[in-house]
Amino acid sequence: MEKFIPGTENDLLLYTLIAVFAPLLAAIINFCLPANRKHAGWVSTGAVLTSAAMAAILFIHIWENKTFHVQQLWFGIGDTKVFAGIWLNNLSVMMLGLVSLIALPVHIYSIAYMHHDARFNRYFTYLSFFCFSMLALVVVDSLILFYAFWELVGFSSYLLIGFWFTREAAVQANKKAFIMNRIGDVGLLAAIIILFSHFHTFDMVALFGEDGLVANAAIFNHLWIAPNSNLPVAWHYVVYAGIFLAVAAKSAQFPLHSWLPDAMEGPTSVSALIHAATMVAAGVFLLGRVYPLFTAEELDAFAIIGCFTAFMAATIALTQNDLKRILAYSTISQLGFMVMAMGVGAYQSSLFHLVTHAFFKCLLFLAAGVVIHEMQHIKEENKLDINPQSILYMGGLSGKLPVTCIAAIIGAMALIGLPGTSGYLSKDSILIQAFEWSDSKGAYFKLVPITALITALLTAFYVTRLIAKVFFGDFKLSLVNPNLKFHISDGGWNYVLPLIALALCSLFPLFSSNWLQYEDSWLFEGLGKIGYADTESVYHSLIPGVLTASSLVVIATAFFLYIRSKASAHSGPLFRVSYNEWYVDKDYNKFVVQGVLLLSNALYWFDRNIIDGIINLFSSITKALAALSAWADRYIVDGVIYLLTVLVRRTGNFVRMFQVGRVQYYLYSMLAAVLILFILKSMI
Amino acid sequence: MIALSDFLIISAALFCIGLYMIVSKRNAIQILIGIELMLNAGILNLVAFGMYDRVDNSGQIFALFAIVLAAATTAVALAIILNVYRRYKTIDPGKINAMGE
Repeated sequence: MEKFIPGTENDLLLYTLIAVFAPLLAAIINFCLPANRKHAGWVSTGAVLTSAAMAAILFIHIWENKTFHVQQLWFGIGDTKVFAGIWLNNLSVMMLGLVSLIALPVHIYSIAYMHHDARFNRYFTYLSFFCFSMLALVVVDSLILFYAFWELVGFSSYLLIGFWFTREAAVQANKKAFIMNRIGDVGLLAAIIILFSHFHTFDMVALFGEDGLVANAAIFNHLWIAPNSNLPVAWHYVVYAGIFLAVAAKSAQFPLHSWLPDAMEGPTSVSALIHAATMVAAGVFLLGRVYPLFTAEELDAFAIIGCFTAFMAATIALTQNDLKRILAYSTISQLGFMVMAMGVGAYQSSLFHLVTHAFFKCLLFLAAGVVIHEMQHIKEENKLDINPQSILYMGGLSGKLPVTCIAAIIGAMALIGLPGTSGYLSKDSILIQAFEWSDSKGAYFKLVPITALITALLTAFYVTRLIAKVFFGDFKLSLVNPNLKFHISDGGWNYVLPLIALALCSLFPLFSSNWLQYEDSWLFEGLGKIGYADTESVYHSLIPGVLTASSLVVIATAFFLYIRSKASAHSGPLFRVSYNEWYVDKDYNKFVVQGVLLLSNALYWFDRNIIDGIINLFSSITKALAALSAWADRYIVDGVIYLLTVLVRRTGNFVRMFQVGRVQYYLYSMLAAVLILFILKSMI
Repeated sequence: MIALSDFLIISAALFCIGLYMIVSKRNAIQILIGIELMLNAGILNLVAFGMYDRVDNSGQIFALFAIVLAAATTAVALAIILNVYRRYKTIDPGKINAMGE
């Protein structure tokens, strides 16, 4: 096939640029369109279709074949030259393909989903802008450009979370997402600055490529040694902490995860694309890009944090009642798996899971979107006062929404990791490698894979609960209100087609010919270039078996609990911790938000009273001084001058009296003067 | 025998009358006459005190000089008065006060 598509350097560059800029062009066109034109959807879809086609061509050329790197001088400051360019390797083309492939069904779905929205073309403007930022993020080779698109991705996410900005909750949610992402951005920026000052380049290929600067830099004797500079090793930890913050904020890891559940205030199609499949994977992608940077201890920290996040989010998902919130916590949990996989050295498994998760989570969100859409119909038709996202009102929808139901079940199976799905391959590969990793560590490190295993079972439980409550059992609203009218269906082809496509992508054939062995997956092999030790251990057969068996047990239990015995809410302390999302938001509110407010109030007070007070004092002193000098000016300086003038005038007037111009007066005065002279003389 | 003091009294009286005329008269000619009177009072003094120099009679000779000079000054003064009259159409010194302006 390569023979038919020219693949010279210039062609590859052209394909990449088209893939990246087509969505930007669509965004600009949609931005300029008059309000609420329905063409906007097709403009954006066309653009993303172009991107997908270009991504496919690039994939054929690059994957397992070569890396492609071009750069051009961007600007220079003194001797420092900053290059901008494109770096395509297996990882980038995989992400390029993934993003455009996920975006395509989401665009088609959105055309129907957002059809009645008054700001239809604005929605597609944002969506295309997001696609542009995300596609650019995965192909750029410079850390500066990476940072710029990292910010743009966050910004478009912000716009889309707050798309329905008339809702107070949406405004709060996008503000929260923006602020939390900002913390991560600061970390990333700090890391980039330190990397630059250490290695004197922003070029990611030079830094993180094979045999790059970072790989050759050594940590020795508390020094971090690069070819041109030595830094104390503490700076290495600062870089690590910055990247950790960036990853935690973007990929919603503890402690910066709490924006993601709130981000579900955006349209469901947005949640599917951005907050489940692509943008939140950017953090994991960043880890993949800078992977050679980390030392073993730092990776261990990633493993622990990822594992903890996965576990925490899974426990929270157990008790939530909002359909999208459950999926959001499930996303956090799966992202935790990916970060943990990075931490345990399962680089390729992490990215493998990223890809499979993108498909099945996007599928689940789109299915949830259909359900929410139909619940909204019922709500409006019957003028009910219900939350259309609450699973407490749902049930028995499998008959009404057969395609959605089957798609959701496939997505759920993939999420649980049942054999035959893509999730089985990727999740088991992570778990197996986590166990292998813990074998080489101390006993306490066993906790990580065991927690991950428990998390996988918790996943099975909450997913089953979700499916059971939404699609099986009785329709809860009909129980309360038997006369309820509802006319609901799967919807048009815009809904059905993306669901079917994504459901097919969630099954194993897309990724592997062998439905049981993840090692045979082409994706896994393609990424497997970074230090993967193919070990034969007992875990390879043990873990999948144990996990599948116990998952089936958990599913059966959960199904029985929620359908047969109709389990209602408990209220133990564990339930409360889970239901309140581990009190993370409450604690953030209590300590961070209140703390910040307190601090800003204190600063305000300080500003008001101390700073302003000092300035006011100065101004009063100046005013007093000015008044004093005005008085001195008026009465002393002017007084002296007035006195002089008065004296001069008086003297002048007095002397004038003699100068009348009449000769005889002068004689008089002469006479008088002579007489006075004589009188005075005679007196002496 | 007329005593020296009589001459001096007449001279002083003449001087005072001349002075009075100078400061009080509103006619330049009369002021000129007053000046002549004062001059003559001076000349009278010269002649009176000339009695102490009977050999050279320098007092009387000096008086002659003074008379000649007085005639000259009078001529000049009259010429000035004539010019003043031409210019101002008056010879009242009280009205000729352009110097005061």
